[in-house]
Amino acid sequence: MDRLVTRRSPGGCNLVVALVVIPLLILTALLIWVLADTGDEEDNGSLAQVPALEGADLEGSNVLVYGLTLNPSTFDPHRGAAFEIGIPFYSVYDTLVYRHPQNLTSFVPGLAERWEMAADGLSWTFYLRQDVKFHDGTAFDALSVAANLDRIMNPEIQSNKAKYLLGPYQGYTLIDKYTIQINLSEPYAPLLDGLSQVYLGMVSPQAVQNTTNNSYQFHQVGTGPYKLVDFIPGERIVLQRNEDYNWGPVFYAAAGPQSVDVIEFRFYPDAATRSLALESGEVDMIGELPPTDAELLVGKRDLRIYQVPIPGMPQQFFINTTHAPTDNQNFRQALIYGTNRTAIVDAVFQAQSPIANGPLSSITPFYNPAVEMLYGYDPEAARQLLAAVGYADSDADGIVEKDGLPLKLRLVFAPWNQMSDVAQLIQDQWRDIGIEVELILVPDLPALRGYVESGEYDLIAFTDFGVDASLLNQYYLSDGAFNWSGYNDPELDQWLHDATQQQDLTQRGELYALAQQRIMEQAIVLPIREFVNLDGASTNLDGVIFSAQGWWPLLRNIQMEP
Amino acid sequence: MTAVVVRRLGAALVVVWLALTLAFVVLRMLPGDAVDDTMARSGASAGEIAARREELGLNDAIVQQYVTYLAKLVRGDWGESLTSGQPVTELIAQNLPSTIVLSGLALLVGVSLGLLLGLAAGLAPIRLVRYGAEGISSLALSTPVYWTATLAIYFFTVEWDVLPGVGGQGSRALILPAAVLGFHTAGSIAQVTANSLRETAAQDFVRTARAKGLPELDVMDHILRVALLPVIAVIALQLGFLLGGTVITETIFVRRGIGRVLLTAISSRDYPVIQGIVVLAAMTYSTIHAAADVLMGMLDPRVGIEEWDAGGSL
Repeated sequence: MDRLVTRRSPGGCNLVVALVVIPLLILTALLIWVLADTGDEEDNGSLAQVPALEGADLEGSNVLVYGLTLNPSTFDPHRGAAFEIGIPFYSVYDTLVYRHPQNLTSFVPGLAERWEMAADGLSWTFYLRQDVKFHDGTAFDALSVAANLDRIMNPEIQSNKAKYLLGPYQGYTLIDKYTIQINLSEPYAPLLDGLSQVYLGMVSPQAVQNTTNNSYQFHQVGTGPYKLVDFIPGERIVLQRNEDYNWGPVFYAAAGPQSVDVIEFRFYPDAATRSLALESGEVDMIGELPPTDAELLVGKRDLRIYQVPIPGMPQQFFINTTHAPTDNQNFRQALIYGTNRTAIVDAVFQAQSPIANGPLSSITPFYNPAVEMLYGYDPEAARQLLAAVGYADSDADGIVEKDGLPLKLRLVFAPWNQMSDVAQLIQDQWRDIGIEVELILVPDLPALRGYVESGEYDLIAFTDFGVDASLLNQYYLSDGAFNWSGYNDPELDQWLHDATQQQDLTQRGELYALAQQRIMEQAIVLPIREFVNLDGASTNLDGVIFSAQGWWPLLRNIQMEP
Repeated sequence: MTAVVVRRLGAALVVVWLALTLAFVVLRMLPGDAVDDTMARSGASAGEIAARREELGLNDAIVQQYVTYLAKLVRGDWGESLTSGQPVTELIAQNLPSTIVLSGLALLVGVSLGLLLGLAAGLAPIRLVRYGAEGISSLALSTPVYWTATLAIYFFTVEWDVLPGVGGQGSRALILPAAVLGFHTAGSIAQVTANSLRETAAQDFVRTARAKGLPELDVMDHILRVALLPVIAVIALQLGFLLGGTVITETIFVRRGIGRVLLTAISSRDYPVIQGIVVLAAMTYSTIHAAADVLMGMLDPRVGIEEWDAGGSL
């Protein structure tokens, strides 16, 4: 105990004092830093650090801050498949052709002034504009297109979308400096649809040469109305207006004093913080607002909500046709009759999206409105159909049985798009017709796929987007990679196959009408609601419109009031 | 001394190897793989998807994948992301600095706040102060990071609009995430400090010291010297909490960093990226623990001697 005394701290430098004083000093220092450092680092603060914008008059410029959702694994359009790529890069690149955003069935010239298909449908000739320059100053010509096609087909870049949009692509023939012919192994109606998407945007061959497969995404060079000046993954993407741009499609507005000069994209992967970012003015524009948040924002004076319908498939469940009881057509029909889609749309989506009736949403070209007549909400019809296939509630517990086994279905879904809420409502509604539902929530896509491998599901949720109806192929062809309902119908296969090759729009439409009718009569999908992207923007933005694909804003057309 | 360093290093290597192996096996037990994620809406046929899987070596036997990976790793090749093709080391290098800055600042806030709260809860002469400090540290311990984070964002950016919240850049954008993360880190530091203070204060030597007529401030000094040892251990442990906490904080506050990279990599089964981060985390953790042990040894001769004699433990 002597030691205790001898170790007395000299000079009153006491540990307890130090332990109170030092943390207090640290916390005070932090607090002072917070209080002293207010203001000034708003909007333009971070942009001032972008080397390419040095010398630009940011004060006098129209600067737009745009909230993106996630940072996909790559922003290289030739490699990635994420639709987020197009939000910035649809305006960095031009495509050979464009779909008109107001008339989804018509294609208008882009980098190609005109085009023609050979009588046998095996080759397409594109006549290119001669006045186009990439952002790096190199000229755009048929050789550039050839280099792009070569890049996309190069197995080393591991294209996840662009390559497959080209379908039965077989190569190209250079006709002259501004004419190129694309060759196919069989007729392919969706070719123009593919060429109109950002994934087939024309990149500068020189920029590709100066970078690696991986680093190109940070140094992308196109011919579009905006050029990429800065990209820090997960942090920001900065675009600057291309002053030379005058070769845009007909629906692009001319540049004016209210055009946006600089656009900074930031990432908001967490749905809950997206509306906060918009409300606090941190961003001027943002997409994919959760429906309840959008509903709350509708009343705000300085904000506008845009409901943008997305062509393609609705939010839906594929019904497993490979095992009992969902292998029975009447049984599957009972499930659709027993689902009150209007109630779901009202409760979960705040009535901000239309209910879905078929495998395609109603703004998709070749949509067949006849599917709307097939299934209304009719729990009585559902009960009768269940009774007809032998289900009855013999023990009066509210759940129907067959051969003594109570009816129980497994719904497998990932949490995207408020699917948990949707599934819970379905669970309630089906209890009403005597079906017990087990909800199986999986965290991500690979886990969803894991369920498909195991076959341990009766209904499984998945969806896809696209303007061309050939989107159905992957999901409804009997050998489709995502035929998760396991449905096998040679006639449906034939229709989908023929429709993919058929160039005549009327005949193509008839084939898709048949296909949609068959899919719904057979009840192999349970459609819930059509997709609507809820975009929010400050009211000082005008001309907010989106590409035919729905996801991609036409940045060129946005007008900013100072 | 050299023997001790070698033993420590060896032990650290074993920890890293075990963590890596565990991650390697567990990851492959999860359903699905990276190709499910990258080629989901590609429009590719089933055959083309299968070919990609083959190309990436996802069909190889797990033992073969393991041996290949380890062989590359010991040569310093951490592999490439299965979804983007980016080298894992490059991905880590791009994201590590902001994670270090965030967790460093959070640790500073956490330790300062934790010690203050702990001292107040353990030693404050006024009962109300003790209860208040205890209440705050319980709150920090029992509420989840995402709850405080969302509240903080709501109040500081929307209601009062004084701080940049989500997606902000520059040093001011660090304030909220570091404060939130630091607040939660402070919770266990405060509790351990308070408990340890109370226990120590009840020990015989304290009574002896008081009986000998030492001034109260000096008595406290003696209490603290003993009571603070477990606090150092808990601070080292809190670094593990910080690593986990950054995952949530970085996601909610939309900051770039290792945590967010990890989250994305897990949901897309990007094996090389996850494994790389596991190796990094295990290395960091072993280093911190070794450092804490050394520090304890320096501050408390008893710890050092026992451990040195026992031949060094993990």
